[in-house]
Amino acid sequence: MFKLLEKLLMPAAEKLGKNKILIAIRDGFLISTPLLIVGSIFLLLANFPISGWEEFWTKILGEGWDMWFVNVSRATFGIIALLSCLGTGYAYAREIKGDKIQSAAVALVSFIILMPTCISFEGVKGSGTISALAFEYVGSNGIFLALIVSVVSVKIFNWAYEKGWTIKMPNGVPPAVADSFAALIPSSIVIGFFFLIRIGFEFTTFETAHKFIYTVLQMPLQGIGNTLGAQMVYSTFGSLFWFFGINGPAVTNTIFGPIMKVLTIENLEAFQAGLPLPNIFTGPFSDFFTCYGGGGSTLSLVIVMMLFCKSKRITQLGKLSIVPGIFGINEPIIFGLPIVLNPVLIVPFIVVPSVNLILSTFATNLGIIPYTTGVALPWTTPIGFSGYLATGSLVAGLWQIGLLILGCFIYYPFIKMLDKKYLKDEEEATNSESEIEDISFEDLSAEDF
Amino acid sequence: MKKIFLFCSQGMSTSLLAKKMQDVAEKHKLPIEVKAFSHGEIEGIVEKLNPDCILLGPQVKYLYDETVKKLKDCNIPIAVIDSLDYGMMDAEKVLKKAIVLMKKNKK
Repeated sequence: MFKLLEKLLMPAAEKLGKNKILIAIRDGFLISTPLLIVGSIFLLLANFPISGWEEFWTKILGEGWDMWFVNVSRATFGIIALLSCLGTGYAYAREIKGDKIQSAAVALVSFIILMPTCISFEGVKGSGTISALAFEYVGSNGIFLALIVSVVSVKIFNWAYEKGWTIKMPNGVPPAVADSFAALIPSSIVIGFFFLIRIGFEFTTFETAHKFIYTVLQMPLQGIGNTLGAQMVYSTFGSLFWFFGINGPAVTNTIFGPIMKVLTIENLEAFQAGLPLPNIFTGPFSDFFTCYGGGGSTLSLVIVMMLFCKSKRITQLGKLSIVPGIFGINEPIIFGLPIVLNPVLIVPFIVVPSVNLILSTFATNLGIIPYTTGVALPWTTPIGFSGYLATGSLVAGLWQIGLLILGCFIYYPFIKMLDKKYLKDEEEATNSESEIEDISFEDLSAEDF
Repeated sequence: MKKIFLFCSQGMSTSLLAKKMQDVAEKHKLPIEVKAFSHGEIEGIVEKLNPDCILLGPQVKYLYDETVKKLKDCNIPIAVIDSLDYGMMDAEKVLKKAIVLMKKNKK
C-alpha cells in the first residue's frame, strides 16, 4: 500500500517541484509576501480589533485619518496583480536563464497593454474620460491574467533572444548600452503580440482579456478552491507528501497557492472596504486553523512527547522540537521520530489536520469564530496570537488552543505505542560505531582546509 | 575558511541545524562557516559565494538530481543530509560527514 503510494507521489513531487513555470509562479509570490505583511500591519493599525479604537483616534486625529493607512494598503495588496506579474516574470527568467530584469519589465508592460487605460466617469459637473489604471484590474481579480501574461511574455521574449534576433553593437559600445539594444527586437515582438491579443478581445463579447480570464478561469477555480472538499484534498496531500519525507506545502502550493492567494486578498479588500468577508478558506485560515506547529499539526504531538513519554529518544526529541514547533517548524519531528514512512503515526498525522479543518469550518459557519480578515501574517506566527490577529477575535485564539488540546488526545495512543517500542530498544541497545565516529575534530590538521 | 551551505525549501529548518553546526565548529575552533538558504536561490548563491560543500535537507531530496545537474561544472560536493541526523539535529555528525565529503572531493 505504502509502496504504491510512494510510487505515485514521488514522481508527482518531482514533476511539480521541477516544473519551471510552477516554480516561477510560486517564487514570484515570494516577492510580494513581505510587502503584503507590511501592508497588513498598516491595515491592522487602521482597524485594530479593539472596540472604540477608531472613535478614539478620530477624536485625536480628526476624520479621515484612516485614509493615510489605506494609501499604504492600496499600494501593496491593492496592486497584487502587478506585483505577481513582475515577480513571476523575474523568477521565470531566472529559471530559464534569461535576462531577469528585462523580462520582468516586459511582463509588466504586456499585462498593462491588456488593460483599459482610459476610464469614463460621470460626475456632478458632467462626464468624460481620464487616462488611468483602475485598481480593480491590478488587484486580486487580475492575478490569474497577470500570471499567464507574465509566463507567456517572458517565454516569447527569451525565445526571440535565443534565436539571436537582436541588434548587435560593434565592440567598444558599453555593455549596458549594448544590452538595451539587444532587448529591442525581442521586446517589440512581445509587445506586438499582446497588442494583437488586446485588439482580438475587443471583438469578442468579453471585451478585455481580463474579463475573459476572470470568467473562464479564475471564478471557477476560486469557486472550487473555496470548498471544504478542495481543502481536504490540499491538507491530506500535504500530510501524505510529508509522510514520504517531501516538503508537502512546497509541492501542493504550486497548485493551490495562486487560488488561495486570490481568496485571501478578496477578504482583505472586503475588510478594508468594511464589507462582509466573502471567503472561509483563505491562506491564513489554512495556516492557522488546520495545522499547529507545522504539517500534521505536530505541536500537539510534541506536547504529548514531553509530558507523557518515557523513552530517551522521544523525550529528547520533544525538548528539541518544542521551540521550533511553536513557530510552526517541525522537521526535527518528521525526520527524527520519524514520521517519514512510519505506519503507526501516519494515521493521526492525517487525521488531526482533517479534524481541525472540519471543526474550524463548522465553527466559522456557525459564527463561533469570525472569518479571517485576510491580513497577511508570517506562517511562523505562534498559536493564540495568530488566531487573534487573523480574525480580530480573541475567541479564535482560544479556539486554536482548544484544537491543540484535542490533537493531544488523538496523538496520545499512537505515540505511546511507539514509546513502548523505543523503550524496549533502548534497554537492549548495543552501541555501534560508524566510520564517522572515528573522526575527531582535534585530529584535523590545518592542511585539511 | 571553508563554507558549508545548507538548502531546504525556505531555508527555515536548515537554519536551525546550520546554527548548531556553526556552534560545534566554533567550539573546536574549525575555520568553517555554516549557513542556510532557500533552494530557490541556489544557483545565484553558489555563483556569488562559492561554497565548498552543499547539503540538502531531506525534505527536498527530490531536488537532488536536478541540483547535481545544475551545478555539475562547479566541482562542489553535494549530499542529502541523513534524515535521522537531521531530525535529531545532530550537528556534530552532519559536520563530520561534510568534512569527509570535502576531503574526498579534494583527492
